[in-house]
Amino acid sequence: MQLGQLKYKILFILLAVVPVIPASSSPLKSAESELTSTPFTCSVPSSQTNIYTPEFNLNADSVVIPLKRAGRLFLIDAKVGEETGNLVFDSGANGLVLNSTYFRNHVKSGGSTPTGVTGAVGTVEQIFVKQIEFAELSYKNIMADVTDLGHIENRRGVKILGLIGFSMMRRLEIVIDAKNNQLKLFRIDKDGNRINSKSQEFKPDYTQKIVGNTNILFLKGIISGKTLNFCFDTGCETNVICSDCNRSIMNTLTITGRSKLSGTGSAGSEVLFGRMNDFTIGNKQIPNMDTVITNLNALSEGYGTKIDGMLGYNFLEQGIISINFVKREFGIRFINAEKR
Amino acid sequence: MKIITRYTLLIVGLFYTLTSLAQYDPDKVCRIDNGELIFSLNLKWTDKEKAAVSKQFDLDSALIAQVYQGKSVITIGGETWNAKKVKPDLVELSKPVQSETGKSVKLDDLFLEIDEWANFAGNAAETSVVYGVNDFKLSYVFVYNQKTARFYLPASTTAHKIYIAGSFNGWSTTQTPMERVNDGWMVYVNLKPGKYSYKFIVDGEWITDPNNKLRERDGEGDYNSIVYCCNHRFELKGNKDAHNVVVTGNFFNWNPKGIAMNKTSDGWALPVYLRDGTYAYKFLVDNQWITDPANKEVRNDADGHTNSFVEIGKPYLFKLDGFTTADKVILAGSFNNWSRNELVMKKTEKGWQLPYVIPAGNYEYKFIVDGEWMTDPANPFSTGSGNTENSFIALKANHIFKLEKFPDAETVIVTGSFNNWNRQSYRMARQGGKWILPIYLQPGKYTYKFIVDGNWIIDPSNKLFEQNETDTNNSVLWIDPF
Repeated sequence: MQLGQLKYKILFILLAVVPVIPASSSPLKSAESELTSTPFTCSVPSSQTNIYTPEFNLNADSVVIPLKRAGRLFLIDAKVGEETGNLVFDSGANGLVLNSTYFRNHVKSGGSTPTGVTGAVGTVEQIFVKQIEFAELSYKNIMADVTDLGHIENRRGVKILGLIGFSMMRRLEIVIDAKNNQLKLFRIDKDGNRINSKSQEFKPDYTQKIVGNTNILFLKGIISGKTLNFCFDTGCETNVICSDCNRSIMNTLTITGRSKLSGTGSAGSEVLFGRMNDFTIGNKQIPNMDTVITNLNALSEGYGTKIDGMLGYNFLEQGIISINFVKREFGIRFINAEKR
Repeated sequence: MKIITRYTLLIVGLFYTLTSLAQYDPDKVCRIDNGELIFSLNLKWTDKEKAAVSKQFDLDSALIAQVYQGKSVITIGGETWNAKKVKPDLVELSKPVQSETGKSVKLDDLFLEIDEWANFAGNAAETSVVYGVNDFKLSYVFVYNQKTARFYLPASTTAHKIYIAGSFNGWSTTQTPMERVNDGWMVYVNLKPGKYSYKFIVDGEWITDPNNKLRERDGEGDYNSIVYCCNHRFELKGNKDAHNVVVTGNFFNWNPKGIAMNKTSDGWALPVYLRDGTYAYKFLVDNQWITDPANKEVRNDADGHTNSFVEIGKPYLFKLDGFTTADKVILAGSFNNWSRNELVMKKTEKGWQLPYVIPAGNYEYKFIVDGEWMTDPANPFSTGSGNTENSFIALKANHIFKLEKFPDAETVIVTGSFNNWNRQSYRMARQGGKWILPIYLQPGKYTYKFIVDGNWIIDPSNKLFEQNETDTNNSVLWIDPF
């Protein structure tokens, strides 16, 4: 995994998952929090993309994974090594990321690299995990990044073993039904077609070609006639739009709230909350999607491409989404507003 | 005449309020236009509306005040705002949208704000629920007996796999499979009395229990089924001719609507869940209040009403040895808001005692011996120090903090997320060469540390720990659900 990306994953993709520690006189509440981390910097070059091939425990051609919810995070029950708990389904994670609380003593894959970020993320090490199991799938001898994810646990009150993104599912067709809290995985052939011909093909209302070779998915969306580059992120609890976007784009947003941060490390910084009124993907306009408005320049640096926004939870609930890396196709079947 | 005047004033007042409210549309207060963050402030807004705008958009009240005073350039909190009157009653307050981007952001602060905005409020802990009554469409789909609950889901025999997930198994989607039986699926789960939320997972699809009418919002736009594992049965024999019998009590805030009881072969009955504690109650038989004729435990309340009483759970015996010459000893603690006169202890040959039923939890308490407050001399566990020192007790403790070594330490405190990292709680006691503290913790994650004679350390016997803000780590403890 690209460590720079990992840094931003944990800093940003899991928006709203850093712990809130009650004020007290304890020395643990340092005024000079080391989580203070903007402006962001990217210090580590990208590494090769990990692609994992799963084994189906059963001779099934597909599996339906019930997703659990913690806040707006989607969780998958999993067994990683000897530990049982939850993996956050996080398409913004390039590879598998495990929580150091439970995996710091595992065998290192060799060396460790500082991310250049102090505090919350710290040093990222890589380890080997003998086996990972979830639903009917199992993976053997997996390499994973290890970092501290305690802040997600503290925020959401659930045991988080790690983050799992598309890297573990690239050789399957991935169908995300957020409204029904389901993740469906289908085995596919070398052409990307479902192996079991009986299984009904996904019929999207709109498809978009997947570009690039990373495990991170970037989607083109249109606001105010301008095409924007969005990161598709199932681990992002809110949509995010960049505050330095074109002015005509900013003009279309409804601002419903503003907050000036007051903590010692961030006094005076401003966050805006609002709604995208004019977001279009394909020929489908999606009005009234909640979004946070902030500066994403540093995030763009981390991904090595200019990002204008993140499509997270608020986008996921618009429909059923299919991702097929073999066919290089993203598809969405919209849920009727009336039905919703 | 007076009445007419009063109504006229009322109507005028209402009209004024409505027209005033109509002017305040939160969605139209703020916009971004050409790189400027612009707030449209109506000069006719009431103080309440100004306060609402100030809160929603985090605008300093001093800034708002200066706008209403007619200032055109306002510098406050390091930012310069421009105020411009665009209509007789409308001022636009603006500044560049990106004027703050160079500032650093402490992510704790950012995420706290986002959580608040997205309204991620957690649900109330199920263990704090005082009472509950089930409402199933079919009586046989849920049976609770002697600590074992049986869930039954009729039909769905075409499904391949069905699991039950709920608050009792940490919402695990894999831990509790159901078994296929005649015409349906069934599972037995060991549960203590209490309230639980749950769902079935039918071939990967989450469904609420179709035969359970009790549902609660899950906070994510969906519902969970709710079940109570009952530990008490209100019964009233006879009264077969009555049309309506309900029970009410302090657990129901003495609401006279009461909770409807069901007709049985020999009277009326209602299975309920009641959290551990002491409850006063009465029946209402066709709106006539009666005490429970089968319960001899009746007491008068402060207003002279006679009520039936029932105790749920085992009482804990508070004891104070000695002080046999004292006239009066009172027990006061966090369990009764430190009331100075409620819990009068009874004199025994050796001292004083009082059996008292309170729910599982951590409590602080003291004795008041003839007006003098004192800690419990027989209890080595305490919180605070000096005058603020209180005795500490964990009822139905489900975890014991242990710290070996440090035999020469004078004081050892265990502190953590369970007590807001209080530096003076909880004081551990030395026992058999190690320091211990029994505690009651609800299911979930806790971070903690020991303070050994003022030095903060993580738990040397716990391999689970995580980073904290000062890079000194905190120990991590998970309490499993039941």
